Amino acid sequence: MENTDKSLIDAHRRGDPVAFGELVRRYGDSVLGYLIRMSGNREQAEDLFQETFKRVHEKAHTFHGPQFKGWLFKIATRVTLDGIRRGKRIKAVSLNQHLDCDNPNGEQLATVALADNSCNPSEQALKVEQTEQVRRAIELLPARQRATLILAYYQQLSYPDVAEVLGCSVGTVKTQMFRALKTLAHKLPEI
Amino acid sequence: MENHLTENELIEYRFGLSSQEQQSISSAHLAGCAECRERLEKLKKKFAALDLLREDEHVSEELISQITAQARQPARVKVVQFYKSPWIGAVAAVLVACFVLLMSNLNTDKSNQRQFARDSKPEGRIVSKESGVKGQVQADSPTRMPAQDTNSKMEMATTTETAQEEATTRIVAKETSDLIAPTKVRAHDVTPAEIAAADASKPIPEQPPFAPASAIELVTLPRRDNVQLTIYNSADLTLVRERRNLTLKKGWNWLQFMWANTLIDPTSLSLEPLEQAGKIDIQQLVFPARLRELGRWLIRSEISGQVPFEITYFTSGLSWRAFYMGTLSQDEKTMKMQGYVRIGNNSGEDYDNAQTRLIVGQVHILDEIAQLAKRQYPYDRPALGIERDERLGERAAEITNGAVTLNYIWAAQSLELSRKDIKKEGLSEYFLYTIEGTETILNDWGKRLLSFEAEDIAVESLYKYDEERWGNQAIRFVKFTNDDKHNLGQTPIPNGDVKIYSHADEQSYMSYVGGTDIKYIPVDEEVELDLGPARLVEIAPKLMDFKTENYIFDNRANVSGWDEIRVWKIEITNTRTLPIQIEITRGFGTAYWTLQSETTYEKYDATNARFKLEIEPRSKHTLEYTVRTYHGTREESLTQ
Repeated sequence: MENTDKSLIDAHRRGDPVAFGELVRRYGDSVLGYLIRMSGNREQAEDLFQETFKRVHEKAHTFHGPQFKGWLFKIATRVTLDGIRRGKRIKAVSLNQHLDCDNPNGEQLATVALADNSCNPSEQALKVEQTEQVRRAIELLPARQRATLILAYYQQLSYPDVAEVLGCSVGTVKTQMFRALKTLAHKLPEI
Repeated sequence: MENHLTENELIEYRFGLSSQEQQSISSAHLAGCAECRERLEKLKKKFAALDLLREDEHVSEELISQITAQARQPARVKVVQFYKSPWIGAVAAVLVACFVLLMSNLNTDKSNQRQFARDSKPEGRIVSKESGVKGQVQADSPTRMPAQDTNSKMEMATTTETAQEEATTRIVAKETSDLIAPTKVRAHDVTPAEIAAADASKPIPEQPPFAPASAIELVTLPRRDNVQLTIYNSADLTLVRERRNLTLKKGWNWLQFMWANTLIDPTSLSLEPLEQAGKIDIQQLVFPARLRELGRWLIRSEISGQVPFEITYFTSGLSWRAFYMGTLSQDEKTMKMQGYVRIGNNSGEDYDNAQTRLIVGQVHILDEIAQLAKRQYPYDRPALGIERDERLGERAAEITNGAVTLNYIWAAQSLELSRKDIKKEGLSEYFLYTIEGTETILNDWGKRLLSFEAEDIAVESLYKYDEERWGNQAIRFVKFTNDDKHNLGQTPIPNGDVKIYSHADEQSYMSYVGGTDIKYIPVDEEVELDLGPARLVEIAPKLMDFKTENYIFDNRANVSGWDEIRVWKIEITNTRTLPIQIEITRGFGTAYWTLQSETTYEKYDATNARFKLEIEPRSKHTLEYTVRTYHGTREESLTQ
């Protein structure tokens, strides 16, 4: 029988080293996806990911259930917002990233075109360009609106769950979501 | 239908943001309004772009194991770190200082009172303490106060002044020399020249101070006067050499530097005086406990004044890459090529007016500088197994020696706007590019500089078809040689990305043809740029016939050898308006084969044959061949 989140966190509190690993595996992909979309940078997201689970480990005694996922995302959101604030001063460097100030997408275009020969290169280039446009549009949203959009749309949390994660009312969540969508409606590319 | 739904209402409906009641109203309206339904569909399509970012992310096992390893350690008790909240430290320091001053004043008062009670001649003590100066002045003062009160106040006032003088003297002494005993002179009576003269005559204590007692004794790094960057492209490594003028005092000097928010490797730091080297001794570099990203040099100086120093260190985050743009002529027989160098700075540090040199070649480093810089404390090696870029070091290139300077042809509008020359020269195992003059490379900024420009490079457009390598599609290549004949060959071409464009028509409209990355190209070396699948050239191989024959049986009547005969027909369609050259490579899976065809072919290797054809514009060509492969004991018949 599969262990519940509660039983895993209880086991972790008792000192079971396997339980924590199980929790990380269970929610890792989802949390990492959230952090990448929030930070727009995989390397920074991995740092935030480590910080999130470090806090989960340190604050495990404060979790009283029932929704572990909501509690986890709440921590991830706090870590991210702190990280984004700090990130304005401390910039992580991605070793994979090659800087091209004149054409930031140029290398991606070529890389993708080479990596995947399955379809038309111009279509691929267009897709990369559109993806980049979406990423930029989301990155330009204020942090709260971005968190709301990502939690509700990409992580598919219900609005009450998003409200729980962000520590605000459902009405506020809906307002933030509406503002985010309204902004995006003018910035998203036509596909 | 009147009162169509607004865009806001449609967004709210699409994402379930409105109330239940409003959702029902909108739903009912949409059921009867084709226009609003169409607008809703458009909106849905618009927001479908969000799904482009819906890719799945996976956490690496390495990351999971790091986290679980952290979790095995007991949870930390939260400690308030004062250095992270400087204001707490400042408030605490002020409170402590007030308390100490209050207590010292109280003690002084008490001791004075006790002394007054014991001593019947307070003036005499005052005179002896102050070498007769104050005591006498005050004693001779015409405005005398009643005896007991006057004496008491004089004693207290003088002692307080003495304490203030001592405090002033301590600061002067610390600013001039650390370990010299404070001289009891009034600070305002001493001129800087006198202090300097006094300094020069004082001997320097042999024992160095253990640590600076306060920030007053520290010299912090002043602004750099000039800086030289040597950026390696094979590793995330830059050597920084900077010159700064430090003001030293005679004696022991503590020089403090910090590398917070930068990617400097503190263990690589080196400090050397450029003048007066015999009189200045760099003793040690100290990383104080509990102070992160901070170090202090202990310097013994026999002189006072400004001395130029050279500071060298490694940093990460500065990078350079070569980048090329090729433009094919309309007939695709020549190409214009422009080479650029891109320099990026993510090191956390601004480098103003830096002399910049770029190195091509592979360097061997034990630890990545970025990891060294990110360590909590600047000792021990960083944790292994956290490398993120496996491509580091893969860009090894062959290095040749030689020294070449490229001259560019351009019409400079003004001196400020003129392009920088990039000089290239061989340097032992490396190739060095020096950018003319200086460059300001701010943190988080990048800069692109032209490296070379060559016109009319003769190129061959070539298509290749090899099912084993690229599947059922022809791949397009552009071929040229890095030599004089091709208007190149003055310098090796460093590895980098190439993007190829072509003139689509006579109006010089450009179209993107393809891109690839090239390895280091030495002089006189041929290069083929892989531009990806060709859409306008189709290859369709068909197996027309298959049979087996020439069976050989062994003693037990089992088949021990046979031949397989295949008849192939390959239809090549060129839909381009230009003639093309194509190489078709066919593999047979065995080294024992013979081939019959009206088209000439070459044996490319043991198992492959290659046909080279030229196909006219907008035409079809059929290539036919019959291949016989020998199996089992029949292989011997081929070798005999």
